[in-house]
Amino acid sequence: MSRCQEFREEFELYALGVLDPPEMAEIDAHLREGCAECEAALKNALALNAMLMATTPEVVPPARLKRKVLAGVGVHRMSWGWLGALAASAMLMIALWLSVEERTRASELAQARRTLITVSAQRDRLLQAMSFLDDPATQPVSFGKGKPLPPHGNVFLHPQLGVLLIASNLPPTAQGKIYQMWVIPKGGSPRPAGLFQSEGGTALHILSGPVDLASVGAVAVTVEPEAGSQAPTTTPIIVAPVGP
Amino acid sequence: MLWKLLPVAYGLLQVALRFKDDAALAKRLKARDSRAMSDLYDRYGRLAYSLIHRVVRDSAAAEDLVQETFLRVWNRMQSFDEEKGSLGPWVLAVARNRAIDYLRSTDGRMAVGALELDRLERPASFSGFDDGALSLDRARVIKAAFDKLTPTQKQVIELAYYEGLSQSEMAERMQQPLGTVKTWVRGALKAMRDQIAGGASA
Repeated sequence: MSRCQEFREEFELYALGVLDPPEMAEIDAHLREGCAECEAALKNALALNAMLMATTPEVVPPARLKRKVLAGVGVHRMSWGWLGALAASAMLMIALWLSVEERTRASELAQARRTLITVSAQRDRLLQAMSFLDDPATQPVSFGKGKPLPPHGNVFLHPQLGVLLIASNLPPTAQGKIYQMWVIPKGGSPRPAGLFQSEGGTALHILSGPVDLASVGAVAVTVEPEAGSQAPTTTPIIVAPVGP
Repeated sequence: MLWKLLPVAYGLLQVALRFKDDAALAKRLKARDSRAMSDLYDRYGRLAYSLIHRVVRDSAAAEDLVQETFLRVWNRMQSFDEEKGSLGPWVLAVARNRAIDYLRSTDGRMAVGALELDRLERPASFSGFDDGALSLDRARVIKAAFDKLTPTQKQVIELAYYEGLSQSEMAERMQQPLGTVKTWVRGALKAMRDQIAGGASA
C-alpha cells in the first residue's frame, strides 16, 4: 500500500485532531509537498466529518442563546458590525462606548478593563482612550450617523486630554497615503492633528494635549501623502462640526 | 449508546450544510453587516448547540461554547473564501473543536493540544468541496452507513468525533489492544467512505 493510501485511511482522524503527534506531523509534511490527490481526499474527509456531525440528535437551545451570541460579537442592539474587526479590542470599545452613552453599564466597563489588560498591542492607546471616555468633561460629537456607507463614528473632545476619534467604514488608504486628522478653529485654518491608518475599516486616533473647546469649530479627516501635510490637500471625508 | 436510544433526528438532516446563499451570507459577514450574524445563528446555531451539547453534556457549558464558536467565526471571517467556501462545515468544525477543547481541559488532557485544533479549523480549509458533498442525500447515505456499523465500530467513531480520543486513548479506555482498535476505526471509516462512493456512482 502506498504512503498516500495509508494517509488517506486516516484523513478523517487527522481533520479531527485525534492522531498522535508524530502521525499528524507526517501528514502535515506530506500535504505541504502539494499532493493534489491527498488534498482532494482531505476535502472529502472534512465533508464526511461535517455530515456525520450534522446528524447529531437535535437539542433545542434556549432562546436567550441567540441574544448572548449576538451580544458576544458586539452586534446586539447596535448596528456596529465593523467593531468586530478589532476582535478583543472591539469588546473593549463597545464597553467604552456604553460607558459614555449608558452610564448604567458599569459592570461591562469593568469587564472591558479586564479585557484591556490582555490586549497588549493596543493597550496604551486604549487605556488613554478609556480615561478619555470615562471623564465627565469629555464632550461627544457624532458624525455621519444613520448613513450606511460613508465613514461614521464619534469625536470626543476634552479640555486637557485632547481629541479622540473613533471611526468606521474607513477604507484602507492607497499605497503611500494616510489619514490625517485636522482640528479646525472657528474662522481659522485647519491645524494638523495627527496621522493614522484604518485597521479593518476601523480607526481609533488620539490627539493628546489641551484643547480650547470653545474655539474648535470642527474636526475633519482627509487623505494625505504618507508624510502628512501642513494643510489639507484633499476634500475631507469626515467633517464633524463641534459646538452648539 | 445514545444513537440506539434516540430515534434518528432527521430534523437536523433537513439542514444540508450548503445553503444556496451561503456565499451571499459570507460576503455580508465579511462586510461586518450586523444582521448577517443573526442570520448565521439562525442557520447554524441549533446545529452547533446540538453538537456541542452532545460532546459536553452540560447546558450551561454548551451555551458558553456556542458563544465562543460564533465569536471565533466572526473574528476569523476575513480569511474565509466566500466564493468557494462552505460555512456549515467550518462552523461545525469550530463548534466541535471548542467542545473537545473544553472536554480535554476538564479531563486534564490538555497535552493533546489546543493549538493543533486551532490549526485544523482554519477557514481556508473549508472551501472547494465537491458538489453534492454537503447535500441532504449525502447526509442520509452517511447516516445509513453509520447505522450499519458494528457496535464496536460505532463506539470508536463516537469516541473520536465526540470525545476527541486518539486511538491509543481509545485502546486504554476500552481495554483493547491498539491494533484491534485501529482495525475497528479504519473499518468504520472505510465503510462510510465506500457508501459515499457507491451512493455517488449509483
